[in-house]
Amino acid sequence: MDLVRHLRYFEAVAEELHFGNAAIRLGMAQPPLSQRIQRLERELGVRLFDRTSRQVRLTDAGRALLAEAREILGRVDHLHAVMERARRGEVGTLRAAVTPDLAAPVVAALIAAAPPGVRLALSQIGTVEQVAALTAGELDVGVLHHPVTAPGLAFGPMLAQPVGVLLEEGDPLAASASVHLADLSGRDLVLFPRATAPGLYDEMIAGCRRHGFDPPAVHETPNPQFALGLVLAGTAVSLTPEAPSPGAVWRPLTGEPLHWRASTAWPRDTALAQTGEFAARITAILAREAGMRPVDALPARRVAPRPSSGFLA
Amino acid sequence: MSPRDPAVRPRGGVPGGAEEILAAFREAGVTGQVHAVDVLGGRDLGVGADEDAVLASVFKVPLLVAFARLADAGALDPRERVHVPAEGRSPGPTGISAMLDPVDMSLRDLAFLMITVSDNTAADTLVGRVGLDAVNAAMRELGLRRTHVEHTGQDMYALMTEDVGGLDPAEFFADPAAIARMRVLDPAVTNRGTPREMTRLLELVWRDEAASPESCAMIRRCMGLQVWPHRLASGFPYDDVMVSGKTGTLPTIRNEIGVVEYPDGGTYAVAVFTRSSSTAQTQPRADAVIGVAARLAVEALRRS
Repeated sequence: MDLVRHLRYFEAVAEELHFGNAAIRLGMAQPPLSQRIQRLERELGVRLFDRTSRQVRLTDAGRALLAEAREILGRVDHLHAVMERARRGEVGTLRAAVTPDLAAPVVAALIAAAPPGVRLALSQIGTVEQVAALTAGELDVGVLHHPVTAPGLAFGPMLAQPVGVLLEEGDPLAASASVHLADLSGRDLVLFPRATAPGLYDEMIAGCRRHGFDPPAVHETPNPQFALGLVLAGTAVSLTPEAPSPGAVWRPLTGEPLHWRASTAWPRDTALAQTGEFAARITAILAREAGMRPVDALPARRVAPRPSSGFLA
Repeated sequence: MSPRDPAVRPRGGVPGGAEEILAAFREAGVTGQVHAVDVLGGRDLGVGADEDAVLASVFKVPLLVAFARLADAGALDPRERVHVPAEGRSPGPTGISAMLDPVDMSLRDLAFLMITVSDNTAADTLVGRVGLDAVNAAMRELGLRRTHVEHTGQDMYALMTEDVGGLDPAEFFADPAAIARMRVLDPAVTNRGTPREMTRLLELVWRDEAASPESCAMIRRCMGLQVWPHRLASGFPYDDVMVSGKTGTLPTIRNEIGVVEYPDGGTYAVAVFTRSSSTAQTQPRADAVIGVAARLAVEALRRS
């Protein structure tokens, strides 16, 4: 008996709870599907479904099998993906990604930190795309911005960079050592596109408003050079962690009200052997080269509970 | 990218709170009154802050304060259990008012329901113990001369019933002609107060001066557990900001008074009273502008 194939039949019926629909989904006729489920039940010595004339229900044994079957099928899919890469000669390649804001020296240090004997394929993609690629098995490790939720991903230690404001050199605010967010009142803001990291984007906008800066317009660009151009033209101010920006000056925000949180991320169940070690090296490089600090070093994030978003509300 | 011309963009100006609040009211299709005060620093900001406003269910805060003061004086026991029969309940869409069967509950839990879901039966049951005269007396003792409670929830419903010719007033809650006749919308007739007196009342509660510290903590707890997110709280969509409040609603009237607390200790009492020009019952923008107005007022206080 081809157990993997039978588990796929079982998974389809368990998800559809309807033999006809499951057969359509599998592209087969219903009678052979029913026979195969019966065969699986004989093989395992349990009933997997309660069948009445009107409905199909999972038995307790069926429910237990579904969890196991999904894990096995996921592993099998991953095995095929790994072998597909081997067939294309990609074994020994670690596919990694970083967000577009990392400065050149940080990128160079990350590449230099690749484990020996491993070819590093590093790309530059936003947080949302990284989550999708990690989940789909198309990426081995990423450096992404929080907050994100992504079932199936594991995260390295959370790091944080204080956000400051990028101003043109002649800007009156550039004369002070630090800038209150409220002092930016009335200015337009240039920020990364919301679609690339909606969690961080919303956190930034809420944080700005929370501290008295409600920008009349937000210009979105994934390109730090374009953002710098808008700053130099006096069109907008940019809120960003400190980075070399010729022609502009970076000033910290008074009281450090905003941070970008980042961490490494990798698929929890299908990580390659080298991933953990490389992720740890990345974390160390981000701390050393990109001015990121462990989140534990920041004051705890206070949450004032509200009944409308309370437990099970 | 916004298509705006950089040349016409306002630069670095600090907007005055009051004009922005009035503009927000206009855009939301309401007229409104606001008072906001920095509970620690004393600075304040107002729009129509000393004009009478219809309290609607905001009257449940003065009622709760009077209840707390009687409890402090030993005149009633907040843990006393009372029986609320199924018959004769005050109309209302929430809490015991909407329940079908008899209820036994402590006075202080009735107070909790009265504030957190604006339960009218809970409120009127407490009025039965406290008395409207005691509510008005408590307001005078606290120096609030213009806050006056005339009616229970039941009374207001009876008045509306009379005003629509003995029919079910709920049928007329969106009817312009009927609403024009409703006396419960006239502050000269019904429960009234001013935005400034309402923030003063909240200030006293937050400073433990409206009643004993334990009773003030009880009042703050109830207001912090109010369930509605759509008015005052919607103006402060920040995880680290605490919003406590009490709404008030009648046809065309949407109110909320409350306190906004920042993690830096900043504490602001805010009262917002609005009337919509449309008689539609469902007006999310009219609800949300209460939060907008409160935010503009609080931000102006935090800047000054």
